[in-house]
Amino acid sequence: MGPENGEEPAGRRVPSPESCTDPYLRCAFNGAAQTALGVLGCALLAHSPQGCEYLVNNAFASQECDYMETVTLCTKLCVDEIVHGGEDILARTIREAKDLPISALFVISACGPEIVGDDIVAVCETLQPEVKFRLIPIPSPGFRGSQYDGIDIALDTILKRLAKKRGEKIPGSVCLIAPHANANPTWPADLTWVKQTLSRMGIPVIATLTHKTPLSEIENIASAETSLLLSHDAGQKAADYLFAAYGIEQICKGIPLPIGMTNTQRWLAALGERFGAQKTAEGMVAEGEKMVMATCRRKMPMARFLYRTPAAIVADATVGIPLVRFVTEEMEMTPELVALYTSQRTVRELLDKELKDLGLNPKVVYGTDVYKTRAGLREVRPKVIFGSTIERHASEGLPVAYVVEVVRIMRQFRMINREYFGYTGILNLFECVQNEWTMAWRSKEKRYEAKW
Amino acid sequence: MRQIAIYGKGGIGKSTIASNLSAALNERGYTVMQVGCDPKRDSTRILAGGRFIPAVLEEHREQLRVGKDEYAIKLDHIVFKSPGGIYLVEAGGPEPGVGCAGRGVLTALQILKDLNAFETYKIDVAIYDVLGDVVCGGFSMPIREGFAKEIYLVCSGGFMSIYAANNIARAVQRLAKRGDTGLAGIICNSNGDDAFERAVIPEFAQKLGTSFVQFVPRSPVIQACELEGRAVVEHSPGSKEAEVFRNLAKAIMENTTRVIPTPVNDLAELEKMYRQHLVKR
Repeated sequence: MGPENGEEPAGRRVPSPESCTDPYLRCAFNGAAQTALGVLGCALLAHSPQGCEYLVNNAFASQECDYMETVTLCTKLCVDEIVHGGEDILARTIREAKDLPISALFVISACGPEIVGDDIVAVCETLQPEVKFRLIPIPSPGFRGSQYDGIDIALDTILKRLAKKRGEKIPGSVCLIAPHANANPTWPADLTWVKQTLSRMGIPVIATLTHKTPLSEIENIASAETSLLLSHDAGQKAADYLFAAYGIEQICKGIPLPIGMTNTQRWLAALGERFGAQKTAEGMVAEGEKMVMATCRRKMPMARFLYRTPAAIVADATVGIPLVRFVTEEMEMTPELVALYTSQRTVRELLDKELKDLGLNPKVVYGTDVYKTRAGLREVRPKVIFGSTIERHASEGLPVAYVVEVVRIMRQFRMINREYFGYTGILNLFECVQNEWTMAWRSKEKRYEAKW
Repeated sequence: MRQIAIYGKGGIGKSTIASNLSAALNERGYTVMQVGCDPKRDSTRILAGGRFIPAVLEEHREQLRVGKDEYAIKLDHIVFKSPGGIYLVEAGGPEPGVGCAGRGVLTALQILKDLNAFETYKIDVAIYDVLGDVVCGGFSMPIREGFAKEIYLVCSGGFMSIYAANNIARAVQRLAKRGDTGLAGIICNSNGDDAFERAVIPEFAQKLGTSFVQFVPRSPVIQACELEGRAVVEHSPGSKEAEVFRNLAKAIMENTTRVIPTPVNDLAELEKMYRQHLVKR
């Protein structure tokens, strides 16, 4: 922990960013598991040591799977399988699962078996005639990248192995891509809002890739006329593939996701325009803005005191890029640091466009880790951070007054999913700011004084 | 117990040197165990009368196949005695194309250790004959896990064998810092260009900070013995080649120095040293 001025104590060895990367994201294995567990009526087999199974459990929770319905298996690899290869134990485990009442078994492989050359694709092909369900191998070792890379790997496999070659197009229909590539810890609420919005506009959803998605939806994905990407961090490759293979047009491309007034308004407008539902879109905007105004007027959040406060945004691109406009326009703060977990070209282009449009010139860190974030915070010295519990600790010793925890929340338990998308999403974000503002005044010292 | 590892480029003659060294040490009265750490499991063939002995990992695989584990392995399944009285072990490897051979070598060595093989047979000298090159982290395991304390590099006058030996020295340099392992010397297994090799290899040894231990000449006697599946000191005890291996055994047992090597990091420097000797020739 640094001293009051935020400088590192003299004599302490300050590691270079290259030698100290404390990553925010989990590995590709986790992303693949998250994607596979979003398919209903299927099971997942982790071909991995038992420690990696923890990442499956995490994915299980993220996809809100029901342990009464979804089975996860693990080959629990040990040194014997690393020495001699783990294909035998994989085959044995698949055979043991042959009576499961499932439509598909996703087999995902971790680092160890991939390094020693286990061919999970060949094992699955060999055993396919012995089992009644489909075997879908997804080679997804953690070293392939972050959880978002894992989502792309799994989506690629799922689409190529499960989707039928042709399907009669359903006019004005859409398929939703990568709703789970979102740092909002209760992202299913964002997906629900999107589905409700599409329903109001009369747009049928052919498939969701993936969340509680029946296998049949994926099989029939060729029927979709358009695709709607719900993440800035993953899923673009799937959208490109759907366009190339089935001519499925990607809509709302290059527009930040609907977080905040302006983002929501233009996202809805783009959607309405594409599907000839402009009137409905305009109605939703008017209704939503009115609801937000009326609620704020009645509840009087105190966050107005944060006007022109220098702020930092540390999140994935899905939440982080739309937050730039939200923080600037709705909160009337000044973003001085934008640190995003990912760094792909589409992320850079979108953020550049937004910053140019807003006339902002903050420090930008792509592919950030905790060390780079801390370094950025020390340089910029914001008063408010929109980030996670991690930044609460990463900003120790710095003059940061408020850390609004909007992503990767560890200090709270959410029973009800809360969206950031749409108009209720705006109120949810206001609520986060307000609670942080209130809690900041309830320091240990002040509580002690109040009691005695 | 002395624990000696023989490393070097593939095909340079490590198994020939290791086997003849084992036989010479045996002749001097030491109880010797030779451990082949190569998935090809051909290290001990010369000592075993030209036969391949069953490997530790083969036995391990067999036990796993019948639902048992390494604790079901017995010493007499994996340790064999040569006609000359040398204990022979082959680590072996996984089936070709799967698994990790490097980790396999470590597993095999661990099994030997767990079964108290060295104590059971009262071994004075263990000779580890390790796969051609340190191709991955797994093959440095005998050093990393402290099984091999004294490392000898085998090379010839061929530039690539010196290059490979230098690479192995880099691995030894990295790993030697962790314990009492170190480079003990260089053995030249001649490819026939005696004068050149006698000049270049000692200089290379000097660059690594170690000593040049023995020159083993290219000889039809050694090749004939190999073909017969016998060590030179056993097959042709009166030959001058047998004397070479006796000298090697003596030199190694008398050599107690181990150093952290100083490998040549610049390839150009290694090439320059080599060229200088080529010109002199």
